Amino acid sequence: MADTDWPGCGKSLKGVILDMCGVLYDSGEGGGVAITGSIEAVQKLKASDLQLRFCTNETQLNREAFVDKLKRLGFDISVSEVFSPAPAAVAVLKERGFRPHLLVYDGLLPEFDSVDKTNPNCVVIGDAAEKFTYQNLNEAFRVLIGLEKPVLFSLGGGRYYKEGDGLALDVGAYMKALEYACDLKAEVVGKPSPTFFQSVLNDMGLQPHEALMIGDDLVNDVGGAQNCGMKGLQVRTGKYRSSDERHSTVTADGTVDDLAQAVDMILKQRH
Amino acid sequence: MAGRRALKAVLIDLSGTLHIEDTAVPGAQDALNRLRQASVDVKFVTNTTKESKRSLVERLQRLHFHVQEKEIFTSLSAARSLVERKQLRPLLLLEDSALEDFTGIDTSEPNAVVIGLSPDHFNYQTLNQAFRMVLEGAPLIAIHKARYYKRADGLALGPGPFVAGLEFAADCRATVVGKPEKCFFTQALSDLGCSPTEAVMIGDDARDDVGGAQNAGMLGILVRTGKYREGDEDKINPPPHLTCDSFPEAVAHILKNLL
Repeated sequence: MADTDWPGCGKSLKGVILDMCGVLYDSGEGGGVAITGSIEAVQKLKASDLQLRFCTNETQLNREAFVDKLKRLGFDISVSEVFSPAPAAVAVLKERGFRPHLLVYDGLLPEFDSVDKTNPNCVVIGDAAEKFTYQNLNEAFRVLIGLEKPVLFSLGGGRYYKEGDGLALDVGAYMKALEYACDLKAEVVGKPSPTFFQSVLNDMGLQPHEALMIGDDLVNDVGGAQNCGMKGLQVRTGKYRSSDERHSTVTADGTVDDLAQAVDMILKQRH
Repeated sequence: MAGRRALKAVLIDLSGTLHIEDTAVPGAQDALNRLRQASVDVKFVTNTTKESKRSLVERLQRLHFHVQEKEIFTSLSAARSLVERKQLRPLLLLEDSALEDFTGIDTSEPNAVVIGLSPDHFNYQTLNQAFRMVLEGAPLIAIHKARYYKRADGLALGPGPFVAGLEFAADCRATVVGKPEKCFFTQALSDLGCSPTEAVMIGDDARDDVGGAQNAGMLGILVRTGKYREGDEDKINPPPHLTCDSFPEAVAHILKNLL
């Protein structure tokens, strides 16, 4: 039962940004499963006059493979509508002359094909899942500790996500491990970095107050969006936990059961 | 010294204080024997996540120190003691050699996580298991939080980074049981029936040995062997009760001034 009412948002709203994992689908065996009502919700948004983009911190697959996976689940979605950390990171690396040692899932490697990886002067970590072995982490640690100015880029900084029937450690935990080991602070590329959200808004040609972010991660989706001047809605699917509604620093502009409910309420408010 | 009672116990660090790797500090064996002749209890204390008490004793005996297993208190013992006190059933993320010190502890259906340096356990699956437990409220007990250590083939991650990662993901604080935590020292003294004000600690690590002990209410003597570097005595507040060249000098001071 939704307990939400965000006055003013209804008419000034021009665009919606959707998180993907935990909002559209849940991760798990065989690529995952669509969350009930999400496919139709996306269709309704596309049929409306609202602009739509997808914003994810998913870093186990490159965008093409990831979008293919979602299409197979039944979603109407294209690569140009999806914003993920890897392409943003590639841009940053090239702009600032960084050559990365990569600790990422194999499926993400193609995103870095055009990047010079020789003689690394930084480390990039993504959601490497089973590749987060002691040995691989140690290798990344040694690259960092051997640099005069160690630089660590983390593709997202989330604590955990829903995987199968439980929760799994996200890249943020491993980012913290390397931060602690090397006594440094990582640069996060992806949510909740304001630069990342801004790049989506720029693509839509919208001001922050004209956009709404919907996600399952209170801090990275909702908090990150609010930090940029957008409104943020949390859904009770994916990694949501009831303690999120009593969070000490982030209060969602609204909390709904799922994307289907969110979209129905948004569209209702536009009449 | 006003307020201090007579000395009843001496805690002695091992590596860097009694021996450096496989070489005893000169005169240390005799100094230990002299200390034992006085009416004080002696305990040997160390941070380790891999060595069982038995293997520590064996090394000391090879170096001609007269010590018994029951006189050794390690960060592993501190963890075991905590687990027993709180009647926890731990998931032990420890190397096999350390498991020996947990013999007899019920580890079925674990409701707590004990984490030391254990590369074999620091894989995605096991860490996820530990994370899920801690997120649901299971206590996280860290043997210690060293960032890294020197291995033959270079630097290697210690347990600290993995503890930090779990703390972040589960939004919790680990209970760290090794030096310089206060509870490590109070536990080391607990079966000697003496309070911290009746005890003195001898060690080469200004922060972990001397600072930690003094923070617990003990006197601390810093020795200039092992990892000691010039000026270490100025890095803690209050400064060590005494800074001296090595273990034999520390013992001489105790026998002359503190009994």
